Amino acid sequence: MGFNVNIDIGGTFTDFFAIRDGGDVRIAKTPSTHYDLSVGFMKGMQELARAYGLPASAFLSQTEAVHYCTTVGTNALIERTGPKLGLITTAGFEDTVFIGRARSWADGGGAEANKDLSRIQKPIPLVSRDMVVGIRERIDCFGKVVCPLRREDVIEKLQVLVDRGAMGFVVCLLWSFANPGHERMVKAIIEEEYPEDYLGSMPVTLSSDVSPKAGEYTRFTTAIVNAYIHGIMGEQLGHLVNELRDGGYKRPLLLVHNTGGMKKASRTRAVLTHNAGPVAGLHGSLTDGARYGQQNVIFTDMGGTSFDIGVITGGRLSTYDFIPVIDRWRTNIPAIEVKSIGAGGGSIAWVNEFLGGSLEVGPRSAGSMPGPACYDKGGQDPTVTDADLVLGYLNPDNYLGGKMLLDPDLSAQVIEKKIAKPLGIDVDEAALRIRRIVDAKMGQEVFSEVVVKGLDPRRFVLYACGGAGPTHACGFAPYVGVKRVITSPFSPVFGAFGAYTLPVRQVWEKSKAMKIFRWADQAYSEDAEGFNAVVHELKDVALRDLRLEGFSEDQVEFRLELEMRYGMQYNLTKVVSPHLTVYGPTEFKDICDRFTEQYSATYSPEATFPRGGINIECFYLTASVKSRLHEPEALPLRGPSPPDAARAGSRKAHWAGLGGPSETPVFVFEALEPGNTLTGPALVEARDTTYVIQPGWRFTLDPYRNGILEPAWAAVRPEEEEKR
Amino acid sequence: MSRLAYGRDYEVVQWLRPEPMTVEEAAGQQKIEDVDFEIFRHKMNMIAQEGKETTMKLGASTGMRWGDVAFAIYTAQGDLAVVATGIWFHAVLGQIPVKYILKHFADEPSVRLKEGDSFFWNDPFYGGVHGADMGLAVPVFDQGKLVCFVGAVVHTGENGATDPGGMSNTARSRYDDGLLCPPIKVGERYTLREDILTMIGSHVRDPRTMILDIKARLAASRIAERRIQEVLGDKGPEFFIGGLRRILSVTAEAAKKKVALLSDGVYRQPRFLDTVGTESALVKINLTITKKDDGFKFDFEGSSPMFPDKPLNTYFHGILGLAMVYFCGWFFYDLPANNGLLETIEWHFPEDSFINAKGEVSTGLAPFPQTAFTLGMFLCGARMSYGLDPLRAVAAWYTGFGAPMFGGINQWGEPMADTFAELNATGCGARPDMDGVDCAGSYFATMSDCGDVESTEEDRPFLYLFRNYFRGSYGHGKYRGGAGLGYCLIPSHVPGVVLGAFGYGSKFPATVGIFGGYAVPPTFVQTVRGSNMKELLAQGSPAVPVNAEQAFQGNGAETGRREFHHSSMRIQPFQNGDTVYLPVGGGAGYGDALERDPEAVVADLRDGMVTPWAARNIYRVVYDDETLRLDREKTQALREGARARRKQRGKPYGEFEKEWLKLRPRDEVIKYYGTYPVSRAT
Repeated sequence: MGFNVNIDIGGTFTDFFAIRDGGDVRIAKTPSTHYDLSVGFMKGMQELARAYGLPASAFLSQTEAVHYCTTVGTNALIERTGPKLGLITTAGFEDTVFIGRARSWADGGGAEANKDLSRIQKPIPLVSRDMVVGIRERIDCFGKVVCPLRREDVIEKLQVLVDRGAMGFVVCLLWSFANPGHERMVKAIIEEEYPEDYLGSMPVTLSSDVSPKAGEYTRFTTAIVNAYIHGIMGEQLGHLVNELRDGGYKRPLLLVHNTGGMKKASRTRAVLTHNAGPVAGLHGSLTDGARYGQQNVIFTDMGGTSFDIGVITGGRLSTYDFIPVIDRWRTNIPAIEVKSIGAGGGSIAWVNEFLGGSLEVGPRSAGSMPGPACYDKGGQDPTVTDADLVLGYLNPDNYLGGKMLLDPDLSAQVIEKKIAKPLGIDVDEAALRIRRIVDAKMGQEVFSEVVVKGLDPRRFVLYACGGAGPTHACGFAPYVGVKRVITSPFSPVFGAFGAYTLPVRQVWEKSKAMKIFRWADQAYSEDAEGFNAVVHELKDVALRDLRLEGFSEDQVEFRLELEMRYGMQYNLTKVVSPHLTVYGPTEFKDICDRFTEQYSATYSPEATFPRGGINIECFYLTASVKSRLHEPEALPLRGPSPPDAARAGSRKAHWAGLGGPSETPVFVFEALEPGNTLTGPALVEARDTTYVIQPGWRFTLDPYRNGILEPAWAAVRPEEEEKR
Repeated sequence: MSRLAYGRDYEVVQWLRPEPMTVEEAAGQQKIEDVDFEIFRHKMNMIAQEGKETTMKLGASTGMRWGDVAFAIYTAQGDLAVVATGIWFHAVLGQIPVKYILKHFADEPSVRLKEGDSFFWNDPFYGGVHGADMGLAVPVFDQGKLVCFVGAVVHTGENGATDPGGMSNTARSRYDDGLLCPPIKVGERYTLREDILTMIGSHVRDPRTMILDIKARLAASRIAERRIQEVLGDKGPEFFIGGLRRILSVTAEAAKKKVALLSDGVYRQPRFLDTVGTESALVKINLTITKKDDGFKFDFEGSSPMFPDKPLNTYFHGILGLAMVYFCGWFFYDLPANNGLLETIEWHFPEDSFINAKGEVSTGLAPFPQTAFTLGMFLCGARMSYGLDPLRAVAAWYTGFGAPMFGGINQWGEPMADTFAELNATGCGARPDMDGVDCAGSYFATMSDCGDVESTEEDRPFLYLFRNYFRGSYGHGKYRGGAGLGYCLIPSHVPGVVLGAFGYGSKFPATVGIFGGYAVPPTFVQTVRGSNMKELLAQGSPAVPVNAEQAFQGNGAETGRREFHHSSMRIQPFQNGDTVYLPVGGGAGYGDALERDPEAVVADLRDGMVTPWAARNIYRVVYDDETLRLDREKTQALREGARARRKQRGKPYGEFEKEWLKLRPRDEVIKYYGTYPVSRAT
C-alpha cells in the first residue's frame, strides 16, 4: 500500500493532499514556516501520518511519490537572498536589464500604484550595476557574427567580476537564441579558467539555454531570475530531500512546474517552479471536471489576499498569450496563465470621498497581518471577511474548524465607523454592499478573463476553490454567467489536490522566424526543411530528457504549438499546429488556415488579414507522459433530505432582498450525504471553509462529495437562457 | 471662421465639455443605486481595458506595438465617458470625431448611422494632436436605438506626409501633411469596404501596417460592442445611458472638489521652443493659469504668431488635450479620465497664434508646442500643488522628443515607414524626496515602452551599435532627473534608407527644472557618413563606442564625414554602414544641486551615472579619485564657497530686471517670435 503525497505552499498555510492506493484520502493544513519551509513541510507529513494512524517513518517509507509546489524560489526573489551574480552581456547593451524596456517600473506593480506617476520606482535589480560587464561581440538578426568574440576580452571582463565577488555568471548576449555560439564560447572559457575541481568554480547560466526566445529583455531576465534562485532552491530542496530520506522516503522529489507538469527536482529549471500551486489547482479542476465530461472549466481560487483565475478549454491546459511576471520581472517562460487579482477576504473597503462618497473594495488588502478587524490583531480597516462575519455567514467560534476565533463586534465597529456612518446607512446594509461589490469585481474579472480569449463563459462550469471560494461563489457566479458551480471537498487544499493530478510534462521552445505566407508574392513557403529541423531539434531534446526520467518514447505524447502573426504585428497568437511534420505549401496552408480560423473566432472575421503575410515566430513542443490516477468511487445517493446529524441549528444572517436578518439553517458539511439538497438561504460549515448558499440557489452534494451550486434561473428553458 | 461646404467644421471642435444632459440621461441616472453604479463603472473599465489590450495585440505600427493606444466608450451624444490608455490627451480629444459623426452623418440620408457601421479618421483638426494618430469608432445600438460609441485611437505613424514616418518637419502647408481624413464611414454591415481600404492604403508608404492597424481597432471595437450589448441585455438602455452620464458627472464633481483644495492664484509660465521645422529659432507659448475656487482659466495671450509655411502649428484643442496628460497622470491620477474633467477649465487662445492653428497651415509637428506647453503644466502644477501634497510637486519628464523617422525597403523586401520606440525611454523628473527614474518611459504615453533591440532589428534594416543609458542627459539637482537613453543605428542588410529625426531642445533646453533644479541639457543628432564602424566592429576593436558619451566625445577611430544636426533633422538618405547617433533626454532636476547628499553623488560616480566633472563643478563634491571615498569636510567647504560666490553675484531685483530688459536675442533667432519681448502677431 503506497501513498502519494502532494504539497502546496501558500502565503499563510501549507496544504497537503495524500491518497493511498485504495483511494483513501487525507488532507492537512499547517502554517507556512517561511524562515524554513521544510519545517512546515515535515510537520504536515507528520499530521498526515497521524491521520492514517501510522508512525511518520512508516508513512514516509510507504510513500511512493511526493509532488511539491514550492515557493522557495519566489521567496528568495522577494527577500533578495540570492547570490551575487555577474552578468556578461554584449558590449553596448550593459544597461538592458536596468532600462527594462523603460516601463519595468510597472511590471508586477498594482494597477492603482502604477497610475500614481509621481511615485513610480523600478525594482531593485537582481544584479547590481557594477556586476555587469560588456564583451565585444555581436550577432545580427540572421544569426551571423558581425563582431567576433575574443577570448582575451572575455577573460579580462571575467576577472573584473571575480574580483568583485561574483558567485555565479549569467551570460546574456544579443541574438543568442538564433546563434548560441558566442554564449557557449563564453561558458567554455569560464569553465576552462575555473574548472570544476577549483574552489572558484561557479555556475554559468546561458540565456540561450534557459530561454531560447526572441526579445532580449525577457530572455535576459528569465536567465537572471533562474540563476538567482537556482542555488537557493538547490540548497533548500537538497536539505528537504535529505530530511525525507532520513525519514524513510526513498523516491525522488517531484516538483510541480508552472507549465502544467512536473519533473524530478534534479531535472527542473528553477524558474519553472514560480506560481506552480495555482497552476496545479487549475489542473485539478481539469481532472475533476473530466469526471463530468466537462471540457470547458473556469478555475477560481479565493484566498485571503488574492483571487486566482484560470481557464481550461477543450479538456486540456492551453497556453494563452501572456507575459509571466515573476516578482517584478517580466519573463518569457511558457507558463500556464493563472491570473491573480487583488481581491480576497482581506480586501479593504473604503469610501472614496472625491467620487461622491462611492464605496470601493480593494485593491489594498489587510493581508494575514494584521488581517481583518475581526482577527483582533490590530486591523483597523473593514474587510470582506468582516462583512461576511457581520452578515452572519461565518461562525465566529468555528472559523477554520475553530482554530481561530473571530470577534464580530470589532467587525461591526470598523464597518460602522468607516463605511456605514459616512454613507448614512446601517452596518448590515454596508456589509451587504461590501460583499456585493467584491463579488461583482471578481465575477467581472472572471468574465473578462474568459471572453478576452474569445470564449463564451456561459458554456463553462466554474470551480470555486480556496478557503473563501465556497463562501462567495453564489455572489460572483452571476457576473460570470455560468449556470453551474462546483465546489470540491478539497477546495481548501485544491493546489495540493491538483498536484496529485499532474502528468510528467514539459514544454521545449525555440524562436525561429519563418514567413510561411509571404506578403511580397502572396505565396506559401516551401521551406519544409527549416520547419522540420526546429521540430526535430526540440523532439530530440525532449526525448533525451524524458529518457533520463525513465520513460520510453512510446509513452510520450507530443503537441506542437506555434506563435504566429500577420505581417509586422508585434504580439503573437498561439495556435496548435495541425502538423508535426510538414512537406511543403500544402501543410503550411493548413497551418495558416488554422491560425486565421482561430484569429477570426477570437477577434472577429473583419480582423483577419491573411494577405498581409503570415509568420511563425516561435515553436513550442509539449511532451507529456500520461499518468494513471485513482478514479474516486461514486458514492450512493441518499436522497435530498440531509440527515438530522448534519443539522447544526440556525443563526441570523442577512440576505439582500429579504429585508432584515432571517433565521438561516446551518449544516455540517462532513455529516451531509451524497444526494442531499439544500435550498438557499442556508449555511454549511466545513472544517476549512463555509458554504454560503444564497436565496435563489440550490446546493446538492453529488456522489463525489462535490457540492454543486446552481442558481434557480439555470432551470429555465434554453431559449430563455439564450435571451438572458 | 465661417464653415465652407465640405470645409472644416470649426464649431464641433469647440464641443469639448460634456454635452447638456438629456432627459433620458437624467432619468436613467435616477434609477441607478450607488452599488449598481460602482459595479457598472468597473464593468465599463474592464470593457475599455479589454479593448485597449486587443487593439495593441493586433496592430502592427511601432506606436501600436509599444502601447501608444487608447480605447474609449462614448455616450450617445459623443462624450468620452470611459477610456483605457496612458495617452491621456485622448480622454478629451477622442470625442470630437464622434461628435462630428453625430452632427454630420446621423441625419444625412447618404450616410446615417447603422448597426455594423465603422468610421475612421486621422485629421488632427478633429483628432486634435497630429495626423499620425488615427481613430476608428463604431456606433452601438439597442434594438435600433443608438446608445453609445466605442472606438480606439492609435499612433499608426506613417500617413503619407511629405516625410515618412508620421512626423513631417518639412511640410509647408497641410497639403504636405499627408492623408488627413475627417471621420468617414469605412465599413457597413460588419464588413470593411475594400474600396475605402484601398484608397487609404494607397495614400501611405506602408499599406500593410495601415490596414493591420485599422483592423486591430475594428476588432477591439466589435468585441467591446458585444460586451456592451450584453450589459444592455442585462440592465436595459435606460440604466446604461444613465450610468455613462453619471460617470461624467461624478468625475466633474470630483475634479472640482480637488481643484478647490489648491491655493488660488495666478501662475505664469512662459515656454520656449527652439525649432521651427528644421530651422533653429525661438518661439514662445505664454501660459498663464488663473486658479480660483474650483476652476482654472488657461490664457495664452502673448504667444507667438501662426507659421504660414512651417509645420509647428497646433490646433487649440491639442493643447487642451495635453493639459489632460498632466492632469490625468499626475494631478487627477486617482480620478476617472474623461471629458468631465474639462468642467474645471476655461480657456482663451489668441487668434493668429501658432497654438490656435487655422486655415491651411501645416500641423506636422504639432506635438512640439503641445509638449512644450505640458512642461508649463508641470511647472505651474508643482507650484500649485506643493501646499496640498508636496510629494506630488515633481519636476517634468523629458518633453523634447528626439526620435528618428525613416522609410525605405526592409531586409525582407517589404516597404516600411515609421519611427523608433526609443522616444518612450525618456527620464522621469526628479521628485521632492528621490531621484527621477532612469529611462522611465514617455510622460505622454505612460503605458508605452521602448521595446527590444531584437524586435526592431528583426524587421527593420538597422543594426544597433549600442543602446545604453545616456548619463549626460538629465537635469541635476538636490534630486536628479532620471537618465535618458543613447543609441546608435547603422543601416544594414539593405543598400540604404532615408532617415530624419524629430525633436527640439538642441539650442534652448526643452525641459527645465523645478525649485532650483537644473534643466535637461540640449540634445542633438550626430551622423557619420562613409563610416568605418562596421569594419571596426568586425575587428572587435575596443575603440567601438558603447554609449553616447563615448560616441559624442569621439576617439578618432571612426572615420568618415561627421556631422552634427539639430534634434529635428531633415529626412535624408543614409547608406549601409553609415552611423546615426541619437540621444533621448532625461528628466529635469529638483532643488539646489548643492543640497544633494554627497553620498548620492559618489554612488552615481560608482555607477557611472554622473561625470566627474559634474560631481566637482555642479555638486561641489570632493572625493578620492582612486577609491571614490568622500571627503565630507572639504565638500562642505567647497559648497560654502559656492554659496558665498552666489551671494556675491546677487543683486536687487529691480537692478537685475533693468539689465535683463536690455538684452535681446539676435534678429534671426526671433524672426518667428512675434514682437519682442512680448510676442504678438505683427
